[in-house]
Amino acid sequence: MTLLKLESVETHISQYHILQGVTMDIQAGEVTVLLGRNGAGKTTTLRTIMGLNAASGGRILFKGEPVEKLPAYQIARRGIGYVPEDQGIFADLTVDETLRIAMKRGDPAARERLSWMLELFPDLAAFRERKSGLLSGGQKQMLAIARAYVGNSELLLIDEPSKGLAPIMVRKLVEALRLMRERTTVLLVEQNFMMAQAIGDAFYLMDEGRIVSGGSMAALNEDHELRRKYLGIA
Amino acid sequence: MNSLLNLIVNGLATGMLVFLLAAGLTLIFGLMSVLNFAHGGLFAWGAYGGVWLYGLTGSFAAALAGAVVIGMLLGWVMERVVIRPVYGNHVQQILVTLGAMLVLSELLKVVFTPNPLKAETPAWLSGSWDAGGVILIKYRLFIILVGALVYIGLTLLLRRTRIGLIVRAGVANPDMVQALGINIRLVFTLVFMFGAGLAAFGGALLAPYSGVVFSEMGMQFAILAFIVVVIGGMGSIQGSALASLLVGLSGALMAYYVPDLSLAANMLLMVLVLLVRPSGLFGAKGGGA
Amino acid sequence: MSRTPLQPRSEPAAPPKRARSVMGRLSALQGRSSRTHNVVVLLLFVLLAALPAVSDSRSLFILLTQVFILAVFAMSYDLLLGFTGIVSFGHAMFFGLGAYSTGLFLSRFEATLPMLLLSVIAGMALAAALSYLVGVLSLRLKSHFYAMLTLAFAGLLLVAAEKWRSLTKGSDGFTFAIPEPLKDRATLYLVCLCTLAAVYVALRRFTRSPLGSVLQAIRENEQRTESLGYRIVPYKIAASVVAGAAASISGSLYVLTLRFVNTTVFSMDMTLNALLMTIIGGVGTLYGAVIGAAVIEWAHQLLTDLAGVHPIFERWIIFFGLLYIVVVLVFPSGIAGTCASWLSSMRRRRQPEDPEEERP
Repeated sequence: MTLLKLESVETHISQYHILQGVTMDIQAGEVTVLLGRNGAGKTTTLRTIMGLNAASGGRILFKGEPVEKLPAYQIARRGIGYVPEDQGIFADLTVDETLRIAMKRGDPAARERLSWMLELFPDLAAFRERKSGLLSGGQKQMLAIARAYVGNSELLLIDEPSKGLAPIMVRKLVEALRLMRERTTVLLVEQNFMMAQAIGDAFYLMDEGRIVSGGSMAALNEDHELRRKYLGIA
Repeated sequence: MNSLLNLIVNGLATGMLVFLLAAGLTLIFGLMSVLNFAHGGLFAWGAYGGVWLYGLTGSFAAALAGAVVIGMLLGWVMERVVIRPVYGNHVQQILVTLGAMLVLSELLKVVFTPNPLKAETPAWLSGSWDAGGVILIKYRLFIILVGALVYIGLTLLLRRTRIGLIVRAGVANPDMVQALGINIRLVFTLVFMFGAGLAAFGGALLAPYSGVVFSEMGMQFAILAFIVVVIGGMGSIQGSALASLLVGLSGALMAYYVPDLSLAANMLLMVLVLLVRPSGLFGAKGGGA
Repeated sequence: MSRTPLQPRSEPAAPPKRARSVMGRLSALQGRSSRTHNVVVLLLFVLLAALPAVSDSRSLFILLTQVFILAVFAMSYDLLLGFTGIVSFGHAMFFGLGAYSTGLFLSRFEATLPMLLLSVIAGMALAAALSYLVGVLSLRLKSHFYAMLTLAFAGLLLVAAEKWRSLTKGSDGFTFAIPEPLKDRATLYLVCLCTLAAVYVALRRFTRSPLGSVLQAIRENEQRTESLGYRIVPYKIAASVVAGAAASISGSLYVLTLRFVNTTVFSMDMTLNALLMTIIGGVGTLYGAVIGAAVIEWAHQLLTDLAGVHPIFERWIIFFGLLYIVVVLVFPSGIAGTCASWLSSMRRRRQPEDPEEERP
C-alpha cells in the first residue's frame, strides 16, 4: 500500500529552484532510503513533505489526501513525524518535558508508544530528568526519534541519523530502526551506505533536485554502474 | 538608615514595574525574534486604562484587570495586523513596531485628551506603615509584592505547564515545535497578547505610584526596559528580573545622591555589559550578528 | 546539507570575482539613469535658486528653507536605513549636537561667518565621534541592538540637555544672534539650498564609491557580503559616522533659521521626522528623502491649518503614523521607489525593445 506519494514536487527557496520535480512512492511498513550527494535536495524533500518549506508545484498525497497546502502542524497531526539533521533538540527542556509536549493530548496510544520508546532506548529512560542540551550526540538522536514517534506513529522522516555518531552508536541505531520498522514506516535520508543497506527495503536516488533512480534495495546492490556514478562506491 | 531603606524600597518598586515591561519584551523576542518597540505604548495604555476604569468602577482590582484586557486586545490587533505580515524581516519589523508605538501614543491623546491625568491611590493601599521608626509607603510595598508574585507565577507557568513547555521549546526551535503538531503561530499570538497584557498591567500599577499619567511615559519606561533586556540577556526571564532590580536600585540610589546621572548610570551599566558580554548576563541567544 | 541552495555550490567560491560582479551590476544600473538624473537635479536647483528673484512670499521661503534643512537630515538617515540597512531610533542626537554647537558658539563668541563655520565643523566632529562610539558598541550585534542603543543614547542626551542648565538653559532654551549677512531671508534660503545640493552631491558620491557599493551589498545580504571576505562592521561604522556628521549639519542650519535652540532638537519627534520622511519618501535613493521632507513638511502645514476645522487634525502624527505603517507593510520602497518602478514598467510596456534610460 502506498502511504505517501510525491508527484513532480517543486520547491523554491528564495530565488533558488531546489526541488525540480520530485516523484516518489513510499510503501507502508517499509524503510525507504533517500540517497544522493550533498546538495542534491534530500533535506529539502523532507522539509517540503513536512510543510516546513512550501511546495511551489506538484502534489503530495498522504494516505491518498493532498497535504501540500497544509501548514506544518496540521501535516504533523495527520501522522507524519520529523527528525531533522541537527536533531532540533530543545536544549533547555529535560528529556521528559520534551517527550511530554510531543505526545498528543487525549491519545491513549501515546503512553504505550512512549513506554516502548523508553524500552528501545534505555539511555532515555535513564536520563529522563536531564536537560536535553546536556545529552551526548547519540542520546540526542534517540530523543529526536522518540519525540517524533510518540506523537506520530505512521510515517517518520529521518534526516541522516548516523551523522557524527560513533560506529557503536550507529549499530545501536540500526538495531532500533529495524525494530521500529515492524510498527511504522520510515523515509530515511542517509549518506552512510552501509547503514542504508542494512535497514533499507527500497531506495530513491536524488541528484540536482530530481529523482534519478529508484527501486528495491536488492536491485541497487546489484547495480554497480549506478552506485559508481552517483554514490562514488563500487 | 531610614532614607537608605526607603531608597531601596523605591528602587525595588521601580525595578518591578520595569520587570513587568521587560518580561513581555524578552519573552516575545526570545520566541519570535520580534523586538517590540511599541511595548511602551501598551504600558501607557494600561496606565490610562487603569486610571479611567478606576474612576469608573471605584474598584482597583477591576481597574487592573481591565487594563490587562485592554493591553491584550491591543496586543492581539498589533500582532495580527502589523507584526504577522513581516515575520522574518528584522528591519521591517523594527520599523513597523515603532510606527505602532507612534499610533498608540497619539491615539491615547485622542481618546483621553492630551493633558496628563491624575491617578488616585486606592484607600486601602495609601498611607504608610511605621515599622520601628522606619516609614514604609504601603503602595510601594504592594508593587514589590505583586511584582514578585508575577515573577513566581511566570516561572511556574514556564516550568510546569504544557503551554510553558511549548514556549520554551519554541524559543529553541520554532520549526520543530510545528513539526510536533503544534500551531506555533497561535502560540506566537498568545505570547504576544500575554506580553502586552503584562505591559499594560505594569502601566496600571505605575499610575498610583507616580500620581499622574501622560503618554510620553511609555517611551521613558520602554527605554529602561530595553536597557534591562540588554543587560539581562534577550530571551531570559531570570536575566530580566535580575537586571530590572539592578536598574531600579541603581536608578533610585543615583537619583538620591547624584540625580542628574541616574539614567547615565544605567546606560553605563548597559554599555559595560555590551562590551564584556554582548549576549547579556543570562543571554542564551541574541548575541552574535 | 541541501539546506544550502544548490546554485551557489556549483559556482566558484573565490571571493574577489563575486565581489566584482555584485559591484559591476550595481554600477551598470546606476550608469544608465545617471544622465537623466543629473539633468533633472540641475534643473530643479536652478529653478529653486531663481525663486528669490521672482517671489518674495515670506511663508513660501520659510516652508522651503525648512524643507531643505530637513531634507539634509532625512538624507543622512537614508544613508543608514536605505543604503546600509541599519535602523536608528536616535538620529536626533546628531541633529541636536549640531544645533547646540552652533547655538553655543554663536551666543558665546562673536556671531560671524567664520565662527558659524567653526561651529558646524565642531558639531560634525562631535556627532562623528558619538556615532563612532555607538557603532562600535552595537553594530557587531543584531540590528535590534543598534536601534535600542541609539534610542537610549538619544534619551540620555535629551536628559543631559535638560539638566545641564548652565550650558543649555534646559527646555526654555536660549536665543542668539546670527551672522549679519544671513539675516536676510532670501540669503538664508539660498545658503540652505546650496547646503542641500552640496550634501546631496557628496552623499551621492559616497554611496557610489566602492565603499558605498559594499554598504549596499551589506543591506542586500549581510552573510553573503561577509562570506565574500568583507569585514562588514567597519563599513557599517563608516556609514554611521558619515550619517551622524551629515545630520549634525542639518541641526546647525535648523537653529540658524530659528535663532533659538532648546531641548526639542534632541527629542524623539526629531528622530521621527527623519524616519517618516525617509520611509514615506522612499529609502535607498537619497532623492526619496528629499521628496519625503517636502511632502511631510507640506502636509504638516496643511494639517496644522485644518486643526481649526476639527481638533483631530492637531494630532497630525496619527495620520503620518498610519501612513508610515501602511508604507512599511505595503510599499516598502516609498513614494520614490514605487513611482520609479511604476514608470519603468509603463515604459517597458510602451517600447519593449528599448532598454534605455530609467527616470529616477
